[in-house]
Parts: sequence; C-alpha cells; structure tokens
Amino acid sequence: MKKILLMGNPNVGKSVFFNRLTGANVIESNYPGTTVDYTKGYMKGNSEDFEIIDVPGTFSLEPKDKAEEVAVKMLEEKKDALVICVIDASKIERGLYLALEIIERGYPVVLALNMWDVAEDKNIQIDIEKLKSILNIPVVPTIAISGKGFKEVVLSIKKAASVGVKEIMEKVGEIK
Amino acid sequence: MEKKLSEMNYEEEGRVESIEQNLKNKVAGMGIRVGKNLKMITKHPLKGPIVIEVDGAHTSLALSVADRIVVEVKK
Repeated sequence: MKKILLMGNPNVGKSVFFNRLTGANVIESNYPGTTVDYTKGYMKGNSEDFEIIDVPGTFSLEPKDKAEEVAVKMLEEKKDALVICVIDASKIERGLYLALEIIERGYPVVLALNMWDVAEDKNIQIDIEKLKSILNIPVVPTIAISGKGFKEVVLSIKKAASVGVKEIMEKVGEIK
Repeated sequence: MEKKLSEMNYEEEGRVESIEQNLKNKVAGMGIRVGKNLKMITKHPLKGPIVIEVDGAHTSLALSVADRIVVEVKK
C-alpha cells in the first residue's frame, strides 16, 4: 500500500487534515505540539488505498526536540512514501523552507497551502500558478476545518513526482 | 544601533544583522534570517523565552538563542 506522510510546521492543521482524509478522530487543538507521536490511518482513493501517517510538526529536518526527531525518523524510514506538505498560507516562508528540504531529499511532494482563509483575512496574496511553475509540484489552497480543496489534494497525489532542487533554485534565481 | 535580539525592548523593531553560524539553519526554519525585520512582542521573566513577530507571525525563541542573533534596531 502506498504510504503518505503528512508533514508541516507545528500548528498548521496536519491533524485536521488527517481526520478529514481518513475519517479518524485524533485529538486536534489550536496550539503547537499536540501531535508528539505519530498516528496512522487509511484512506480509500479512486483506484488504490493509501496509508496515511500524521507526523509531528517540525520546522526543519534538523531535529531540535523529541517530536521533531520522530518526524525526521519517520521520513527517513519511509523512503518510498509520498509527502503531503501542509503549510500555513499566512506563514508561507517557514513552510516553504521545510517543503524545500523534503523535496531536496527526493520525496514526491504535494504542497497544501492550508489556512487559506486566514491568509486572505490578513490580505496575503499568493500566486499559486507561479509557485507551481517554480516548484514543479502540485500546489493546492486548502481550508482544513471546512474541507475546501481536499478533493484537489487527493487528485493531486497521482501527479506528484520527485523533482530536482537544482532546477527550482535556477528558477528562483531568474526571479531575482 | 546594533544590539543582541535578547536585549531588544518591548515593541522595539529591528532588522537581523547577523546570526551565529551554527545557529543559522536552526532558525531559518522559523523564518528568521539575515535581513528580516523583527518586532519584540513579549519578554518572559526569569530568563524565559522571548516572543517576536516575523512576517506577521509570532515565534518564540529561547533567550540563549536570542543571545546569538544581532539586530540593527530602528530609531
């Protein structure tokens, strides 16, 4: 069964994401560090089933505490997994930092820009098409608590493939 | 004026001048890097952590970490 890891910074809504995708009911709360260990669940796709793992939040792949250690270890153990990188659209820079680290390690990534409504409230505008063309991975705006964008996330899983960080950096260089 | 991030006062704003080399990657994941604008939000007593604002988001840092970041404070 294909494995999917849900990764992202602490407090971006990974567990809400997990519950939505699997129909499970893990504890969610609105402060960071709720998920210290991992939770596993299953999701039925159109043509295949997936095992989904809710990974503790981490800022980077260089662990600073126990929860982050768990996160990095999970990623390293599941070499053939696909990663749904959940990031807070209103704090996009630190999210992209982690996303790039995961991409750099060769994992196929689907980027979910969660809390899209919060970003809109803060008047943060994100050019999704441009992000897609730079990163060359599926990028989907989502609102986990209302369920917006989930269909697209699931559909994007098929499209995700590992990409080279080199090409991304070249494209970023062009922007400057 | 340059000072350590840990020495910034309440509500003071500044731009990151330098970060200790072996700390750079550690704080980059929190959106803190050279050139970023920061604002001091809270300083906890008894050498507790500080809370700063970066890109409109709050982040907390241990005082020992804030000691190793230098900022240019805006007048």
